[in-house]
Amino acid sequence: MHLKFLAAVGGVCLALGSGPASAQEETSASTLYGDLQHVTQDMLERAAGDGNNFLHTNGNYEQTRYYPASQINTGNVQNLRPAWIFQTEVVDSLETSPIVVNGIMYVTTSFNHVYALDARTGRQIWHYKHQMGPVTTYCCGPNNRGVAVSGDRVFMGTLDAKLVALDAKTGKQLWETQIAEAELGYSETMAPTVVDNMVLIGTNGGEYGIRGFVKAFDTETGEEIWNFYTVPEDSKGVWATHDATGRDMKRDIEAEKAAYEEMGDPYETLGGGVWQNPAVDLETRRIYFVVGNPSPDLDGSLRPGDNLYTDSLVSVDLDSGEYVCHFQYIAHDVWDLDAVSPPIITQVKDEAGNDIKGILHGGKTGYVYVHDAEDCSLIRFSEPMVSQEGRWTLPTEDGARMLPGANGGVEWSPMAIDPNERLTYAINLHQPMTYTVRSTPYPEGKLWLGGSFDVIPDEEQWGNVTAVDYDTGKIRWKVRTEQPMIGGILATAGGLLFTGEGNGLFKAFDSSNGAELWRFQAGAGVNAPPSSYTVEGRQYIVVGAGGNAQLNYKRGNNIIAFTLAD
Amino acid sequence: MRTILGGLSACLAAGPGLAQDAAFDVEAEAQICAGCHGEAGMPVDETTPIIWGQEYFYIYTQLRDYAAARREHEVMTGIAAEYDRDQAKQLAEYYAAKDWPAIQAATEEGDARLANAGITGGQCSACHGKWEGDSRIPRAAGQQPAYLEQTMKDFKNEVRMNAPDKISTMKQLDDATIEALARYLASL
Ligand code: HEC
Repeated sequence: MHLKFLAAVGGVCLALGSGPASAQEETSASTLYGDLQHVTQDMLERAAGDGNNFLHTNGNYEQTRYYPASQINTGNVQNLRPAWIFQTEVVDSLETSPIVVNGIMYVTTSFNHVYALDARTGRQIWHYKHQMGPVTTYCCGPNNRGVAVSGDRVFMGTLDAKLVALDAKTGKQLWETQIAEAELGYSETMAPTVVDNMVLIGTNGGEYGIRGFVKAFDTETGEEIWNFYTVPEDSKGVWATHDATGRDMKRDIEAEKAAYEEMGDPYETLGGGVWQNPAVDLETRRIYFVVGNPSPDLDGSLRPGDNLYTDSLVSVDLDSGEYVCHFQYIAHDVWDLDAVSPPIITQVKDEAGNDIKGILHGGKTGYVYVHDAEDCSLIRFSEPMVSQEGRWTLPTEDGARMLPGANGGVEWSPMAIDPNERLTYAINLHQPMTYTVRSTPYPEGKLWLGGSFDVIPDEEQWGNVTAVDYDTGKIRWKVRTEQPMIGGILATAGGLLFTGEGNGLFKAFDSSNGAELWRFQAGAGVNAPPSSYTVEGRQYIVVGAGGNAQLNYKRGNNIIAFTLAD
Repeated sequence: MRTILGGLSACLAAGPGLAQDAAFDVEAEAQICAGCHGEAGMPVDETTPIIWGQEYFYIYTQLRDYAAARREHEVMTGIAAEYDRDQAKQLAEYYAAKDWPAIQAATEEGDARLANAGITGGQCSACHGKWEGDSRIPRAAGQQPAYLEQTMKDFKNEVRMNAPDKISTMKQLDDATIEALARYLASL
């Protein structure tokens, strides 16, 4: 009861007008480029065809990360050179997706700094530093994955579980809202999504016994419009014994049923974070997002039942937040092989070979799942992109080895698609781990894994870039990388794929066959999703090189923009 | 302007600095702590941790954990039990605002390599980052090596129970790695 109350209270705190002076450092508001352009809803909706801007974290509302410009292409990518390098103040994990509006770029860093840069030169226009409250939470680095833009505003979620709105011209804070209670383990690393004057955002905290949600806030005032709990009060489900790929999860259903009778529904501390942006379907006015693991991660004994809607694709109504449909990949997950990579809306072939509106998701299991957008049902799953050795071995007190390791398969890294090739591109990890369970009661907002997942030091690890035909589920091509991959990928109409590695290499591949066409050594891990944009007739590719805390890849603080040599 | 500030301070209500209890003299209480944790931040004993400049929320949660016997220690449990939440917050705030003292720490040949293997295996940097601490994550860089070693072994041997997930992580590490880690972190 107590918990439920606290979680619900995450009240709205508004500082309307200008925020406190100490909350940001403003450097200069002027730009050679003149006024910043107002981002209209129309622009946001047309982003998929906009070869000048990069308006959404994942390119467009469908989240295809397919960029329509082709000035940089397979024929000339070997002439790609750095145009400029901007160094942020924060040398730490960089996961930002640069957003570009009419020649102005917005990037974020760990610990919630935001920079506005001139996208042609990298010159800093303003710098906002969030005044962090005393309680911050993160499981996987002090990361931030970027801003959302709308009107003359820039929005960011923070490690102390706030949503802030900034003036795009000056970086001044316009309002801030407490999304949920930081002491209980709620926090934000995802970029928000803005649609029709609503800011949509989920929450971290699946490692802390939160009750997950997606909320919508008013862009003008910061007031909450709706809240969808990702964990319903009846979370037991159908006692599924097999996962979406048909493998037995070795659940002891009888014991779970008895425990459920005895302890009741565990929904109040069941986790179910939402780490990444929803895909938005404006035709049906629905959104699609994936829900993360149950809490505690490895210890199922305290949470009998399927733990709905953890490890699921979920669709809700855009205007009301009402449930529409869901599909659960893994019921009662005890491996943290959940669902984090953002879903993609695109036309796919159904079983009968007809084109229908589908949803793609790259699971931490290392499969691409293809769904019918209408009812969330699963049409097919791909060939596995990574080894499935020992799946599903139950965690033990002494530790049991299994693949994929708890970082996946596919981590939070967004996929990209090429709708002409009918391919989806994912980056993968091969990381054997031991899964150890240790049951402890809910620790009131402290880390609650219920054990640990540990990398096996003397076993080889690597990564892949994998192209999957989503109409058949077959792998078209696969390229191996030196290290497990985390960050993201961008496909372009130039027939290219861009993605970076922990060793600092940023590469371009031919998206039809995986041939490496270009590489650049960035000097720190390139573990952020790339973006692209065009200013004054010149196309750029931009990416953050700041390494990664979770996989301990070399940290840095560079935002690097590339363009073709003259 | 008034209303703006009013609204803002309500936002910070969960944070430090509020609900000051007139009878509670934090400076006077700190005299008790100084007996072990040091007059100027340098602890008297090598197995006593530095708390000057430690993270506010971490100090607060440790005091609460000692008081509730989630973390047990012959002296700290009794001491922490004397304080209510607000008082614990005031103590935490007081120590968090101090400067972390510089210590002399020597490493041995091969420590960095062993320590980094442990850090990668345990995925420590996911939370600990550069070991400087942040909110609920304690600073470990420049902490007393003998305390670091003891507290890691206390996790491993199930003596320290208030961060149970650390137990399985520490059990993966042999004592030589833990000792190298302690020296390495102390030297950062
Ligand atoms: C008699 C000696 C003694 C006194 C007095 C004392 N401490 Fe401690 N304190 C210790 C020792 C020893 C430890 C390490 C205990 C353990 O390993 O759990 C410790 C641990 C701590 C910790 C945990 C630090 C960490 O890094 O985990 C905090 C916080 C703390 N003390 C605060 C205080 C405060 C505040 C006071 C005064 C109100 C105080 N102590 C008084 C000896 C003392």
